[in-house]
Amino acid sequence: MPDPWLYLKAMVSAASVSALCVLALVTARRKAVSSWQNSACVGGIGLGLAVGYCMLSLQPCWPPTNALDRLLTIVLPVALGIELIAGFPCVPAWCAWFLRIGLAATMPRILLHGSVYLTGADNDWPSWRANTAMAVCATLLMSVWALLARLIRRSPGVSVSFSLCLTIQCAGLTVMMAGYIKGGAAALPIVAALMATTFATTMITKCRVVTNDCVQAIPGIGAVGLFGLLFIGHFFGRLSTGTALTILLAPLACWVTEVPLFRHRNPWLLGLLRLVLVAIPLAVVLGLAKRDFDRDMGPLLRTDTRPPVMIAIVAE
Amino acid sequence: MRRNPLALVLTLVIATLVCVGSNSVFAADEYDYDLVHSSVGFKARHLGISWIHGRFNDVSGKFSIDREQPSKSTFKLTIKADSVDTANKARDEHLRQPDYFDTKQFPTIEFKSTSTKAIKGGYEVTGDFTMHGTTKKVTIVLTGGKEHDFKGTKRVAFSTELALKRSDYGFDKRAIGPSAIGDKALIFIDCEGVRK
Repeated sequence: MPDPWLYLKAMVSAASVSALCVLALVTARRKAVSSWQNSACVGGIGLGLAVGYCMLSLQPCWPPTNALDRLLTIVLPVALGIELIAGFPCVPAWCAWFLRIGLAATMPRILLHGSVYLTGADNDWPSWRANTAMAVCATLLMSVWALLARLIRRSPGVSVSFSLCLTIQCAGLTVMMAGYIKGGAAALPIVAALMATTFATTMITKCRVVTNDCVQAIPGIGAVGLFGLLFIGHFFGRLSTGTALTILLAPLACWVTEVPLFRHRNPWLLGLLRLVLVAIPLAVVLGLAKRDFDRDMGPLLRTDTRPPVMIAIVAE
Repeated sequence: MRRNPLALVLTLVIATLVCVGSNSVFAADEYDYDLVHSSVGFKARHLGISWIHGRFNDVSGKFSIDREQPSKSTFKLTIKADSVDTANKARDEHLRQPDYFDTKQFPTIEFKSTSTKAIKGGYEVTGDFTMHGTTKKVTIVLTGGKEHDFKGTKRVAFSTELALKRSDYGFDKRAIGPSAIGDKALIFIDCEGVRK
């Protein structure tokens, strides 16, 4: 059963640790160096995730036995490592993108490892179908990752990170309402760590004259986390393709503010507009997920176990 | 006395055939699991006050019973976790999810015997029980085992009960407890094997 109090504790812990780590690491060096800030961001997110997952009893185990274990034990640490490496000035941009493409290409295979989709145990999933699905998923992840990274470089600000966090939170709730409670709960530390890191980075940027390159890590880790949750929710849970795609593509609505009509408006207005644009499809998805939850799972949780017809007859 | 070489050869051939024949008489009997006349059911505590009953509808298996040397008998059972049936479609869907059986990752529940011992009224079978990706050694007592011939089809039947803790098999600890479904689950197997 979901435990809201535990979820709140996990989120607060993850956020506190991330923010404190970023602030401590950045202020430890007097001179503002972009690569150091990036390392602080990645370290803060990593530490926040570790604490959050520890609170949720989602500790890494080796060898990982299921898809969620593989996401937490292999994929997210690799994503953190790539973003850490990408922040060093000596690493050329093509090299960083080569590593990101490598992760995006292998991530579906890693998450599906040992499942009926790859072992041939499910006749509905011949190898060509599984390979096609993995290729399409990898392309989708890479596209979302690249577009978000491009947007955050083109018009820096907290709105893209917040939109991404909003989307991950929605993904978690939808996966939970689809019946996979543990999978949905895994979204919470990601949201908390990314939000706290974004806040801490914004505070530092306001106080010190530094470039905003460090926030490049946020869309990367966020996109990988979002994709991982949706992928697991779809292939191992009951999240439909349409719902998963809508949530995955929702943060790209932020690009609407890049059209000439909005481009030179007040940054606060643009930020608000981005959040609203992302929130609209997410609200629709959440509404539909709630409807399905009430229809399918409601009867299992209802205290009055009589069929609805009986209740109506008795009431009359 | 002169010996006829032809008679000697014939004697050897007959002796060999008798030996081969006697071996086949003592070989183990192979039975296939009869899905129509068998059932694998389970029950688990709900809120610590009652029991939820369910069954698995898709089961297959093979038994090899050596009546002369029971220790050579083998038992194998494969349950499709996806076929879980608790008479409630929504609950069945929920049980297939990764919080419970995770049927896309762990599609089968298996028992494979490693040693068999004849006991009064049946067999004591020790084997590897694999569920939710975790394998543990369990010992079950199979009662029954008498062969019955019905219209040329030979049948053998066994019954057993198995108690296990879900927490031993890597199930989500948050989905176990007095406020949810209990840790202990009882599995009931009543199966028939057939051979032509």
